[in-house]
Amino acid sequence: MANVYSTICPGCNFGCGLYVRENGKLEVDFRKSSPANAGKLCRFGMNLPRLYAPVKSMVDGKETTLQEAAKEAAKRLSGSKGSVAFLSFGNITCEEHLAFQKLAESSLYSGVDFEALPKDTYQTLSVGIPYDEIEAAKHIVLFIDPYEQYPLIVRRLLSAKKKGAKITSVWWKDMPLADENIRPADVSKLQLTKDSLVITDFHPLSDVEQIKNVLLLAKNAGARITFLKPFANSTGVYILSKDAKQKSLATLVEDINKGAIKTLFCLESDPVDLIPAETLGKLTNLIVQTGSASAITAKAHVVIAHEPLYKKRGTLINSEGRAQALGGAGTSGLEALGVIAGTKFEFDSLHESVRKALGIAAVDEFTIPKYDRPPYGAIQAAPKPIDTKTALVSIYNPFLWFGLADDNDFVELNLNTARALKLIKGATLKIKSNGSAIEKRFKVAPVQENVLLAGRKFGIEKGMLTPVEISR
Amino acid sequence: MQKGEMYVGWSTKEDVRKRGGSGGLVTSMLAAALEKKMVDAVVVLKKINEFEAVPVITSDVNEVLNSAGSLHSVPSNFAKLIANKNLKVALPAKGCDVRGIIEQSKRNAINLDNTFVVGLNCGGSMHPVVTREMLEVMYKIKPEDVHGEEIEKGKLIFETKDGKEHAITIDELEEKGYGRRESCRYCTIKIPNNADIACGNWGVTGDLVGKATFVEINSEKGARLLQNAIDAGYVQVQKPDEKGVAIRAKIKGTMEGLGKKWKDKVFVPMDNGRLEYFRKELEHCIDCGACKAVCPTCSCGDISKCTEFHYRGDAYKMSMYHLVRFLHLADSCIGCGQCSDVCPVDIPLTRLYRRFANTVQEQLKYEPGMDQRKPPYFEAKLEV
Repeated sequence: MANVYSTICPGCNFGCGLYVRENGKLEVDFRKSSPANAGKLCRFGMNLPRLYAPVKSMVDGKETTLQEAAKEAAKRLSGSKGSVAFLSFGNITCEEHLAFQKLAESSLYSGVDFEALPKDTYQTLSVGIPYDEIEAAKHIVLFIDPYEQYPLIVRRLLSAKKKGAKITSVWWKDMPLADENIRPADVSKLQLTKDSLVITDFHPLSDVEQIKNVLLLAKNAGARITFLKPFANSTGVYILSKDAKQKSLATLVEDINKGAIKTLFCLESDPVDLIPAETLGKLTNLIVQTGSASAITAKAHVVIAHEPLYKKRGTLINSEGRAQALGGAGTSGLEALGVIAGTKFEFDSLHESVRKALGIAAVDEFTIPKYDRPPYGAIQAAPKPIDTKTALVSIYNPFLWFGLADDNDFVELNLNTARALKLIKGATLKIKSNGSAIEKRFKVAPVQENVLLAGRKFGIEKGMLTPVEISR
Repeated sequence: MQKGEMYVGWSTKEDVRKRGGSGGLVTSMLAAALEKKMVDAVVVLKKINEFEAVPVITSDVNEVLNSAGSLHSVPSNFAKLIANKNLKVALPAKGCDVRGIIEQSKRNAINLDNTFVVGLNCGGSMHPVVTREMLEVMYKIKPEDVHGEEIEKGKLIFETKDGKEHAITIDELEEKGYGRRESCRYCTIKIPNNADIACGNWGVTGDLVGKATFVEINSEKGARLLQNAIDAGYVQVQKPDEKGVAIRAKIKGTMEGLGKKWKDKVFVPMDNGRLEYFRKELEHCIDCGACKAVCPTCSCGDISKCTEFHYRGDAYKMSMYHLVRFLHLADSCIGCGQCSDVCPVDIPLTRLYRRFANTVQEQLKYEPGMDQRKPPYFEAKLEV
């Protein structure tokens, strides 16, 4: 009666297994045998049915079939040869990515800034450390907010703590699970040893100088380092594209602004909150291939609607390098890419290439493939300090990456700041930036004094750190 | 056939008898109910492997006949699955499933007249991830080599594909932190007499051991369900011997006694620092709402007191969400352990809810999910 799919949550690259049940409406169910998460889901995973908003293939606002939309996309892409960008953050299967890479050739934008980082760090950036090794670490250093950004790591950290690990947090807010809290500006106070394990993240908005600095700190101490990532198959995409030229989100914005890119093809990627509206407005063609409706599908000239991720057949690789098979049978994403590329992408041969790249005979979610973990050489890092009196810090979490509303329309601030501004409970805080002003509710939390933390965008942000003025 | 009668029975279908647990009676009884249109659908576990099965609602008799049987390492709960679906349905149910179904019926989310509940004796279930680790650490066998499992005479036995049996006492496993889920250890509903019919292998004797199911009829619906399976030619039954009946009663008594001992061990009274204890346990909560979504007694839907009184921007030391749920569950928690299972930050929620529920339910002499008595807090009337 009801279709049940064994699938992976696309909220981030943690690799959380779950069931999606089509039962009149979509329901999530707990897949307790899943090795990454033991069936447990975070706030985003519990809200997953909201992500899978139905989408239809369209050309210039008129509904059509996947085939016709793909043919129209092919026509527009060939008509703007030399000024096309292919963007995919990594919300697709490995098999789809191989096909997409062939289509994109030298115009592949994965959003992350590999180009600004030394090549010998790519493997470290791409494949993380298994979660059970995190649980066995003696000293864990966090450059993330695990509760907001990658919630399923919390239980691994608590397990490590129970086994005697010390946890240090380098963040703008004290973390309940940390034994030691250091503010990002005081990172020089951080003491790493070869027993330390650094956990940070890597994504299209990462400050490369901060990434270099963390890599350098780990290298100097002989500590291990692992990068978590925000997209369902970030790790798979980075592994499979290790020899390809991948361009960053910042380069894409620059290329569109200077007129070098006129047509943007987004594969299962919504950059509406990441690319300024005036930049997106300069495009002649915006082509979107996706399995769910979002802000970008409303703006697109061509929408190619393939099946949602939970119905797909294919392989995902999570942050620790674990290969996981999706439980669906759908391959219409590959079919559409084939129409656009003027070829036929066979799932089986692409899957074989994926297995070959991973050095595995079959996808087995209980066995993590063996990865080389080569050391990287010297790094020059010049991280910028926070140079404003007060800054609004955007904490990128799954809801924010996917542009989904959450119950977090407030900022967090320090008690002393609240007292200095004579804020009273239930009142709002005025926040000004670059001539824009908003009023927001606030929550008192153990946050650094000159910082406001927010888990959603308010429309005044200029990147992840926005200088602001605040008043009551 | 009528309430109170006991039988020993088995499937007449050879493949079901071989594949299903204890002679395949439950599977055949469910399939017969579907085929003879007593129900429109049946809930079964579709087996993926020894440690994973998907609960599905099906109207396909063959899907029922090919279903998993019972798996100790698949701790699912079906009450929420059938709630608000308006189905005429039959389903297998452990004691806690039955309690969830009865509680949902009190909240008008399940119509018991249309629901045939086949109770399964249950000594406890295990978390699949913990079970895999236990196999490697304690049994020194690869999880992939496991072919079947059984609990017998206090031992957890795994059969491997080479035909060998590997047994360790449950006491030893639980001492090392493995074995049954914590809530199963202190559960005292071992034979689900709150279901329409209670089935299990306890009390099967002689040549029928492992090949038949002991059945106790608890309601008129249970009698109809079994009679239908016999009339349809799916099941054969015979009267149990007195020895079997006595053995079953003895196992029940022993298991319940062990459950009570576990309860005393887990719930050591706390004199001081209770508030701090609850606050500390809840400090890692990420507001995912999974504990409410999975709770088999909760029928409030998305809009409820626990969610409406709670705002993520509040800076209370303990959220209103948890405070309201503590209050709600004080008289309604059935101790199924689902909330602890799904908590992404491993808060031992069932233990926290039971800290309130044990006291309240004992004082009010109320056991939720055992009969149709309304939760005492429902009965409270405000007088102006």
